[in-house]
Amino acid sequence: MGVESMVRDLCMFAGHNENTQIAWFKITYSKNPGSLSSIINYLESQEVQIKFGHLDNITKQTGEYSIFTEIEKGVDIDYLAAKIGELEAVEEVEHGVSEHRMIHLVDFPLNVIGVRGIITRAPTLVDIIRTLNESAPHAEGLLTLSGLRGGIHAAKYFRSIMPLDDKNFTSILAELYRAVGWGILEIDCDPETFEGKIIVRDSFIADVYGETDQPVCAYMSGYFAGYLTEYSGKTIRVREVSCKATGHEVCEHIISPAPSGENQEHVITRGVSR
Amino acid sequence: MIKQPNVIIGNAELLVTMGRKGELFGFFYPRRDHAQHIDESLACIHTGESLLWTNSNDWQSIQNYIEDTNIVSTKLYHDSGIRISILDLVHPDVPVLIRRFKIQSQKKISGKFYYYSNFNVGETSKKNSGYCDSKARLMVQYWQDYYIGIYSMPEFSEWQVGKAMDTIWWTNSRYDMEDGKLQNNKEDIGNINNAAGWKLELEADGTSEFVIFMGAAPSRNILYKRMHELSKLPLEQIFEKTREHWVMWLSKKQVLKMPGLEGYNNLRQELFNAYNRALLVLYLMNDHENGSFVAAPEFDSNFEKCGGYGFCWNRDSSEVVLALKHSGYPEYCDRFFRWCIRTQLPDGSWFQRYWLDGSTAPSWGNFDYSTQIDETGSTLYAMDVYYRILEGLKKIEFLEEVWVSVLRAAEYLMKRTKTGLHESCMDLWETYYGIFTYTNASIYAGLMGASHLAEENGEAGLARRWKKRAEFIKQATIDRFWLQEGYFAKGVINEKLDKTIDASVIGTYTPFGMLSPRNPVERDMIFFLIENIQKKLSSPVNRHYGIRRYENDSYINGNPWLVTTLWLSEAMFALALDLPYEKEKDPYEETRKKLTEEGIKFLKWSLAGTTSAGLLPEQVDKSTGRPAWAIPLGWSCSLMLDNILLLDKICRQKAGKEAEG
Repeated sequence: MGVESMVRDLCMFAGHNENTQIAWFKITYSKNPGSLSSIINYLESQEVQIKFGHLDNITKQTGEYSIFTEIEKGVDIDYLAAKIGELEAVEEVEHGVSEHRMIHLVDFPLNVIGVRGIITRAPTLVDIIRTLNESAPHAEGLLTLSGLRGGIHAAKYFRSIMPLDDKNFTSILAELYRAVGWGILEIDCDPETFEGKIIVRDSFIADVYGETDQPVCAYMSGYFAGYLTEYSGKTIRVREVSCKATGHEVCEHIISPAPSGENQEHVITRGVSR
Repeated sequence: MIKQPNVIIGNAELLVTMGRKGELFGFFYPRRDHAQHIDESLACIHTGESLLWTNSNDWQSIQNYIEDTNIVSTKLYHDSGIRISILDLVHPDVPVLIRRFKIQSQKKISGKFYYYSNFNVGETSKKNSGYCDSKARLMVQYWQDYYIGIYSMPEFSEWQVGKAMDTIWWTNSRYDMEDGKLQNNKEDIGNINNAAGWKLELEADGTSEFVIFMGAAPSRNILYKRMHELSKLPLEQIFEKTREHWVMWLSKKQVLKMPGLEGYNNLRQELFNAYNRALLVLYLMNDHENGSFVAAPEFDSNFEKCGGYGFCWNRDSSEVVLALKHSGYPEYCDRFFRWCIRTQLPDGSWFQRYWLDGSTAPSWGNFDYSTQIDETGSTLYAMDVYYRILEGLKKIEFLEEVWVSVLRAAEYLMKRTKTGLHESCMDLWETYYGIFTYTNASIYAGLMGASHLAEENGEAGLARRWKKRAEFIKQATIDRFWLQEGYFAKGVINEKLDKTIDASVIGTYTPFGMLSPRNPVERDMIFFLIENIQKKLSSPVNRHYGIRRYENDSYINGNPWLVTTLWLSEAMFALALDLPYEKEKDPYEETRKKLTEEGIKFLKWSLAGTTSAGLLPEQVDKSTGRPAWAIPLGWSCSLMLDNILLLDKICRQKAGKEAEG
């Protein structure tokens, strides 16, 4: 089974230029040979500067080409959209103008791995994490459990749209982290024993959190644990053993199977056993 | 997270609050206000493929009480064809909740039945300790001298005790259930949770039954003995004993007749049910040892959206005990007034609110300017009302018992009303500082009551002095606060007359009797008050109107309140009864009829705002018409009782007159 659909919405941030306007077009086209280039050629002929573009293969027969453009202010965008719509390859055109030129979305709401997504500044989430750490009892556990849910969902989602196997389960997770801007992952995980480690470079939590005495990426540890547990069908523990926020170069999370049954290791490691 | 219950059950030691899907919200033992030992407690089903939480949106529920009891039936329906019938009851003599689950499925199931609990024993998630004693078939969690235990029939075959909120998430019972197999960890400490599991093997349309006993005790030994003894009894026998307990308790009530209401589309039966439910609820809100009442079972213990309700206010409890007295349960007055004697402050007043054991509760009324003087007035007034119905030796004993308290309270009121109006304090809604019509009326009633008690006690001088001050207060309130528009101003706030209409000004008539319907001028004032409150504070929802507290009320969205709505209808019924009657040609016949009909509309509106099981909230959501806040509220229950008793009296009088011809 291949990837049947991959939805990726668009946004952009533009600088200020009084002489131009930012317009977006969502063009649904038939996927015949040369059809996409006919659209691009036409846009070039109209001196439309494409700032950002994105292709989406909706079905085998049709595709979606979403673009943000910068166009001179005098140009009639409605007319231009109508002309694009007249091209032979084009089935439908939606369009709009970003009034304030700062940020705009083609689609609403966003969709990230099968559910509604949002775009947020990293400090927004880190402020929530910081507030929990400062005020809530068991904040680390609470963040681990929250992350766990996210990781379980991600593995379930990927499995629902593509074959998830021992060859790709780590690289897909790494791709996801990079795509959503959470960090760059180096995953070393034995698919037999589920022992290994995950290095996170530029973790958004540790980067933004600032210097602190304790590791702060419990949410990510939980996420990894959820993902690996759901994938493997075994109970997997992931612990952050070093964190960029505590002065290390990267964050390091250790993967291991969780102790089971009446194993009291968790109690002993907390030093409460006499 | 604030969760409002749909039903409550309990006995003298245990109060349990539950959601509409049978999930437990509160488990109060040994008092109604402390300690609340539960964060979550509910059943789950593992179908063999996935875990179904019974409080999820995938289930539809029907929940109601077994008639005339505090026994609850909850039926849950899942889209997949699973049906669960839950029967919940608390044994009348021991603090043990008994939960019988009957599970049926249209399809074959080979899975597990789980019962999950996150206890905060001692009302704390810290330093708890939990274990599973598989030999004794008990799951136990304890903190200091609070022990909570779970026993079951049949015996649970697997279990987990784990960390509820920790990085070692796989020990968490909540997650341990996900794979359909528990780890059988036997003990743990800290913030912990637990789950018990049974095999669930159901053929299509087959049934399985599980009974959970959830008990509380002050020691391990007592817990074990309690659970062991109870487990020997057949469930049917416990059910019958519990049902009989409630039916017997209700049999003491003032019997209603309501002749002539038959034509009101089942209203008569609805009122009978509401009357019984209010009585059964008040039993559960009362501290049987101390005599105090919680205003409502606590639902916001962190004071996230309000100041909490799980405490005793003299204002609310005075209303409650009088309503119970009118309904046939005078013993609640006795116990409550004894509690009042014990809790009175050195200056003769009563505090804003108390824990049920009489210690002062968290308060924003710690000073003279922030206290609520009306609570002292209400208490004195209630003592006198009770005294008036007593007879013989009991009357003398009661006066002897309360006299010093009455003297101290009356002198406190004298001290704070030297100019004829009370000194600045907080209003009954606990929002404004100033001088208020309602508070003055309550002081008037308190001093008039004290004066009567003084006279009965042979203290004519004090009686005259207190009565004179009461009359002075009445005159000053009318002179300063009665407006040309035909109602009392709310009062003086920030040294300015606040002309906002506030439903509590009806207190000048009922309950405090500062305005008398026998005086033609004052009678007109009462009519004006009723008319203006109705006109200016009506809020349309549920096909009629509820009454808001005051204009521009912003507390919990400014919803209409059952308290103010039932207060207004009570005034209507009381006035219908108070209007002069002449046998030959009744000049008030039409007015009386209109007042009664209007009152019934408000009464019906209040019944429409209850939970599906008939619990009376404080408020009704102005948009959805659903019960909105503080469920059940003792004050709403007492007003419902008063309303029904007054309507019953009206019906009987009317029937009597018709019989006379």
